[in-house]
Amino acid sequence: MQDNHFNVILTGDLRDGIDLSAAVSSLAAMFKTSEEKIQQTIAKAPVSVKSNVEAATAEKFKTAIEQCGFVCVIKAASETVVATASVSTPLLVPVNQDVLASASEIVESPPSFKGLSYKIEGRPDYSFLTVQIPANQTLKVEASAMATMDTHLVMKTKLKGGFGRFLTGESLFLNEFTAERGAGELGLAPGTPGDLFHQYLDGQTIFLQNSAFVAATMDVTLETKWQGMLKGFFSGESFFLIRCSGKGDLWFNSYGAIIEIDVEDDYVVDTSNIVAFTDGLEYNITRVGGYKSLFFSGEGFVCRFTGKGKVWIQTRSAQAFTSWAHFFRPVSSK
Amino acid sequence: MKVELINRPGNTAAKITLQPGEHCTAESGAMIAMSGHINITTSTHKKNSGGIIKAAKRLLSGESFFLNHFDSVGKEGEVWLGSNLAGDMLALDLDNENLIVQSGSFLACEDSIDMDMGWQGFKSLLSGESMFWLNLKGRGKVVLSSFGAIYPIEVNGDYIVDTGHIVAFNETLNFTITKAGSSWLQSLLGGECLVCKFSGRGTVWCQSHNPNSFGHALTPSLRVRKA
Repeated sequence: MQDNHFNVILTGDLRDGIDLSAAVSSLAAMFKTSEEKIQQTIAKAPVSVKSNVEAATAEKFKTAIEQCGFVCVIKAASETVVATASVSTPLLVPVNQDVLASASEIVESPPSFKGLSYKIEGRPDYSFLTVQIPANQTLKVEASAMATMDTHLVMKTKLKGGFGRFLTGESLFLNEFTAERGAGELGLAPGTPGDLFHQYLDGQTIFLQNSAFVAATMDVTLETKWQGMLKGFFSGESFFLIRCSGKGDLWFNSYGAIIEIDVEDDYVVDTSNIVAFTDGLEYNITRVGGYKSLFFSGEGFVCRFTGKGKVWIQTRSAQAFTSWAHFFRPVSSK
Repeated sequence: MKVELINRPGNTAAKITLQPGEHCTAESGAMIAMSGHINITTSTHKKNSGGIIKAAKRLLSGESFFLNHFDSVGKEGEVWLGSNLAGDMLALDLDNENLIVQSGSFLACEDSIDMDMGWQGFKSLLSGESMFWLNLKGRGKVVLSSFGAIYPIEVNGDYIVDTGHIVAFNETLNFTITKAGSSWLQSLLGGECLVCKFSGRGTVWCQSHNPNSFGHALTPSLRVRKA
């Protein structure tokens, strides 16, 4: 029997202690379809949600579906006698490889990919990035982000961007890893527990919040951008953003998971939850609601984006965490 | 109002979709992002109910004094909510039942839910966690947050939960604060000072981690603050 002859079958049973509606909604979210579709599918159970796949892929689906709360089994295609859902409800087949990847919490670069091949594991809670650096190529990496590397990679510490980077609160130094004696692997772990995101820049420009930078290839230009006194002061974050432009790979990280938002006309984001945004969006630091909201809403100042583009936000903020931890600081006896 | 929980369980965010004219009330500081046309108003009380007394009671419970109200004007809009600690969230549909929520676990609720402070008597004063619990009643959606994972426990008879691990429970349950061991000394030494003993029939939602324990574990490595 060939390797790619496995079917993933949804038995329609719930795992112990799981609420049906919660399981249905998380499964709907995973397959990017409506809850009604899922409910219809469950009603027909047992159904095959994925057929004729490799054992490893089937296992990934099984884990993902079980995480949603449904009981799932893998059967060899030959012994499958149940109705095939993928024919009657084609929507249950994941839209793209991304969905499967995020469900199994490993993101790998597609084979046809232009940039360096990479792998992000442990998403979205404890992301870890592994990049394959081809021979004689160099990667710019945030200082102290390196966790593991092949012995034939050579590290050089560079003072990048001059004094500007010093002011952003970013470290003054960027490390450059060059694969001098053949291709090598570099493992990167960002400072905060959270998500990692990859973008391939092809002439576009992305602005990063000052601590979000993880790594970039050499053709990506990093500049610090002064936000202006007013914007910088009220944002509570820093006076600078990192402007990334050029052509190549860019990885950035967050504290908490990253959510990508397509801004159509305008969108409001708490200043401490901004990770990155694309060029072309206008942004203003404003208050939400009236003056009462300014002081008492707990939101303070927010960033209002207008125009068309993408904003990446993080689900947790370091500020909120530290203000929570403030109460646990030891009190001086004086 | 539609609630979607994303990136569960570690870094959960709640995406709340509001139809034009729908309202939602959230804990202050919970909003991380929202559509530009959503109106936000801050008040000491839930819209059309209660007042300063309720707000004062809420403050005592460890919740914040102020609440934010979101309403979508003209077209559909979305609000993203997050919590300050890593953990899961829980969306519940109340159907004219009462839910008692541990202060600090409340994140948001629909307009139709009435919120009040449930005075649980002096017994809960001793619990060291909170004197007050939020009492939510009515018909509609409620979103709660936790530190760590949330797991439901169906109680039929008696069940004991550490006070720091309770997220919420049905009002149909009676509870008493009691010591964990057979003697006070034993309970104190065991680190399980006070526990909640539930009796009756209903569901208790528990969180896998205790925020207070985590905070105290951080204390030695935090910088000293002035009193």
